[in-house]
Amino acid sequence: MSLVQARAHPTVRAAFVGAYVLCIEWARASIQAQPHLAIAALILGGAALALVALGSPAERLGLGTSKFGLRIVGGLALGAVLLLPAAVRSGAAPLLPAGLAVAAVAVSIGEELAFRGALYAALDELGGAPLAIVGSTLLWTAAHAFSHPPAFLGAVAAAGLLLAIWRWACRDLVAPIIGHVIADLAL
Amino acid sequence: MRRAALLAAAVTTYVVAAWMVAPGFYDGFGPPQPYNWTCAPSQAGANIKPSSGHLDIKVVGGVSDANSAFTGDGQVVIGFLPGAFDATGKTTISVDITPLPTCPKPSGIRFVTNVYQITATAPLRMPANLLLRYSNLEPAPTDISLASDPAGPWKSIGAQQQSQPFTIVTQTSSFGYFSAGYSSASSPSGSVTVGGGQVLPIVVAAVIVLVVLAGVPLAMLRRRRSAQPEDAETHEDEA
Repeated sequence: MSLVQARAHPTVRAAFVGAYVLCIEWARASIQAQPHLAIAALILGGAALALVALGSPAERLGLGTSKFGLRIVGGLALGAVLLLPAAVRSGAAPLLPAGLAVAAVAVSIGEELAFRGALYAALDELGGAPLAIVGSTLLWTAAHAFSHPPAFLGAVAAAGLLLAIWRWACRDLVAPIIGHVIADLAL
Repeated sequence: MRRAALLAAAVTTYVVAAWMVAPGFYDGFGPPQPYNWTCAPSQAGANIKPSSGHLDIKVVGGVSDANSAFTGDGQVVIGFLPGAFDATGKTTISVDITPLPTCPKPSGIRFVTNVYQITATAPLRMPANLLLRYSNLEPAPTDISLASDPAGPWKSIGAQQQSQPFTIVTQTSSFGYFSAGYSSASSPSGSVTVGGGQVLPIVVAAVIVLVVLAGVPLAMLRRRRSAQPEDAETHEDEA
């Protein structure tokens, strides 16, 4: 049994999951702006996002174990693609303070479980893959509007679209999680 | 085939979109806005020159008010407690924050922020809180340095242990030139070095090579298996 009742109408389920992840991302961004609360906000926000996937079957979230080697290789490939522009641009990249590294891992896993896991599955059930890809990308971009300047939202949307298309094309969430963690640790 | 084509299109779209804004996709751990550089590093992309700031502090009954001076872009904030200034004979105290148009490189220190000159029309009687924002394109600074002349000598005035990400805070008892940095004799502390310097391109290149080396045999293995009758596991994720 998921957080959202398994027997709830797909529309209700998708609306609930979408509203929940947006609220959590908004709360995380708001608390993150407060002095001394950034790391706690990231870790708790990541945990709260992961909560929405709690109880869902692993296969429904794209977390099956078949072809696990390919999934890991895919994750490395996604990480390389996400870092490619920063790597090519200058040979130097932004640095993440060590204290934020654990928080970055927590929030990237939480975001993948929420957006490409639970939300994607709910939208897929409601309207199929096109709605799942477009819907999860739009909500992912909207959620990042709370924490990112508008100039960055194009890159955020494109990253969300890439991860969602991978989720659809490979029926896999392991690679997006690995790729997202790699990108967040480096950037 | 259609899936592979869409995936390739998504990769291309991402690379183009991320190329248009430095550093590309990142997940909100960076500063709320790009740093405005006096001397921008090569990876900074489009740069806006840093702002200055001005504040007039009222003096009531010989005691200066509590107030904060800050630059227009928020990269420097200096806060004063009530009575922080020696306000003898004054009714107003002016504080000015001006980014230095040059970028001093004193030996032994690697500055990661602009150098700012902070002046006031009265001397301090109590320490003021100084906050400098820094960029995520540079390693985190370990302390703030102060000099009475940009040519030096520069003296560390420390840093508080706790501050918001990408800001460094300390207290100062005098005005002059301020910048945040770290000792160039040692690696900066508090940064994940895997993401920085020349390491990133090497890591990305290694990952690409690994993906190609590991991906080709895995793809061949998969193709060989798909030529055989599919077993139940093939459909494991299609539920």
